[in-house]
Amino acid sequence: MRGSTQLWQRLHQLRAHWRPVALLALAGAVLASAGCGRNVEVALAVPGTMQPSNFPAMVYGLDKNPPDAATFALGRRLFYDPQLSADGTVSCGSCHRATEAFAHAGHRLSPGVAGRLAPRNAPALQNLRWRRGFMADGGVLGLELQALAPLTSPAEMNMPLADALARLNADADYRRQFAAIYGPGPIDTPQFLRALAQFVASLTSANSRYDKHVRHEAGGELSPQEVSGLLTFKAKCGSCHATDLFTDERFHNNGLDRAFPVDSGRAHITSRPADRGLFKVPSLRNVVRTAPYMHDGRFATLAQVLAHYDHGVQPSPTLDPALRLPGGRPGIALSATEQTNLLAFLTTLTDNDFLTDSRLAAPR
Amino acid sequence: MKNRRLFLPVFLVLATAASWLIGCKKEAASEPGTGSVSFAIANMVGTKALALDGTAYATPSGETFTVQKFKYYLSNLRFIRADGSTYAAPGEYHLVDAATASSTSFTVSDVPTGNYTGVSFVVGVDSTTTKADPLALTGDLNPANAMYWAWASGHIFLKLEGTTTTGGAASPIVCHVGGYRAPYSAIVTASPALNGTLLVRAGQEPKIQLSADVLKMFDGATPGSHIALSAFPEIMMPGPRAVQIAQNYAAGMFSVKSLQNN
Repeated sequence: MRGSTQLWQRLHQLRAHWRPVALLALAGAVLASAGCGRNVEVALAVPGTMQPSNFPAMVYGLDKNPPDAATFALGRRLFYDPQLSADGTVSCGSCHRATEAFAHAGHRLSPGVAGRLAPRNAPALQNLRWRRGFMADGGVLGLELQALAPLTSPAEMNMPLADALARLNADADYRRQFAAIYGPGPIDTPQFLRALAQFVASLTSANSRYDKHVRHEAGGELSPQEVSGLLTFKAKCGSCHATDLFTDERFHNNGLDRAFPVDSGRAHITSRPADRGLFKVPSLRNVVRTAPYMHDGRFATLAQVLAHYDHGVQPSPTLDPALRLPGGRPGIALSATEQTNLLAFLTTLTDNDFLTDSRLAAPR
Repeated sequence: MKNRRLFLPVFLVLATAASWLIGCKKEAASEPGTGSVSFAIANMVGTKALALDGTAYATPSGETFTVQKFKYYLSNLRFIRADGSTYAAPGEYHLVDAATASSTSFTVSDVPTGNYTGVSFVVGVDSTTTKADPLALTGDLNPANAMYWAWASGHIFLKLEGTTTTGGAASPIVCHVGGYRAPYSAIVTASPALNGTLLVRAGQEPKIQLSADVLKMFDGATPGSHIALSAFPEIMMPGPRAVQIAQNYAAGMFSVKSLQNN
């Protein structure tokens, strides 16, 4: 835990343009020492550090990598720096755009270095503090490790970790910025990954109209059609898209294909036949803004997604039991009215505070 | 590499203070009642020393190949006494890289004095360590050593890269063995015969010279263990063939060339 003494020391290390933020943090620290709790201090300095009352407990808690303004700023700089790709053309932010909930709208697959296409659709990055595993196949075990996958993938940033560290260490400005936080010495793997994790951990989306509705806050009014959609959603979609994170954090085969020769999903990691075609259930927050859909981006619209569940589900040995209808037909029966209502409901998950938060956009 | 950063300095300070107080002349490098054991590994292809310069080698079944990279982890060293009891050396993780001479030898300190009739070690990294927080992954375990799968968090236990030239045209050999999940765990233990008794004594450092034979990756102890070089470009993820290769190298890759007590 960062005390106010350390906060004073940190103040001296900050650049001029961070001073207003630091002063806010200081004000927060004073409040905290007056008994208001340390979350006040952190919340003023770094976005996305509060526990929304309608969310489950954090997995990557604040104590894992205590948020502070300087580290957040460094993580943000790293996230948007194309120098972390082999040819200097692709940053994390190239395929994860703030205004699109850090997905890549309009791209079935995103181009990495030299125009190569990543093997899967770029997922939205939001509420990562509440995630247990990462990637559609769950291959990555923790938030701090996650960045290694796109960084080193030949089709994405194609940057071996040692080369990324060498490039950072060759940059006097980065060396100063890291040293101000982690002390003198070369920039190393944990420093790099933890700084980046501070930024992606801050991407909390919890202020949609739906959130305000369930928290009984002002601005949480839903239309009768949206309420009908919510009821249909709870009854027919909520077993997988569970909790207010809209995912059960598990792997399911949702019947996209009869066989999975190109991408076996979870089985790519476990090699278990029972895991063939299973993919992590994605959150539906800001889903209106993150088209196209599915791990391979095959559906361009949400209407297509609903049509898939109604009459497009393909049978296979690992198809999820929730998608086996009585009588043998796979899928989830959704009437035209139900589909219209669901589409109306899904718009209530758009969180404009998150999508337009300038602290999360590219620096400058 | 020894992951006992705090312990050693604290111990040295205490030991120095103690020897000053009691006027002891003995070196303070190790705990009383312990000695060190050094290991040196010669990477081989059959009877020839492994060279990474394009030298062509042949397998017993007549396939020809060259090697550009050969790297693997040795960890979890155990020293076995005649009565079957063992000493497990903590914090030992060594990345042996055929391209780096200094990586092919290391010393294990603080081994209890005594007579040992066997040694064993994991070729790879235990699952607890490979799943550890990245902050714990320092030194040889650092993901920056390119022995780490970013897409399936965990270490690559052994990496062989080169070309196979069987049948004329050269094609790449890419063999990355890893995986710690059942049923395809590739974490294996090698226990090459010592052919003698290792005498660990205070103030002494016996030497164990090991040989690591690349050819033994392709053939193990059992019928059906043969892996053709033509299969190798595809071995880059956990699965049955990675497990077979791991079993092969656990069974026969390592042998003790000499044991020198002094």
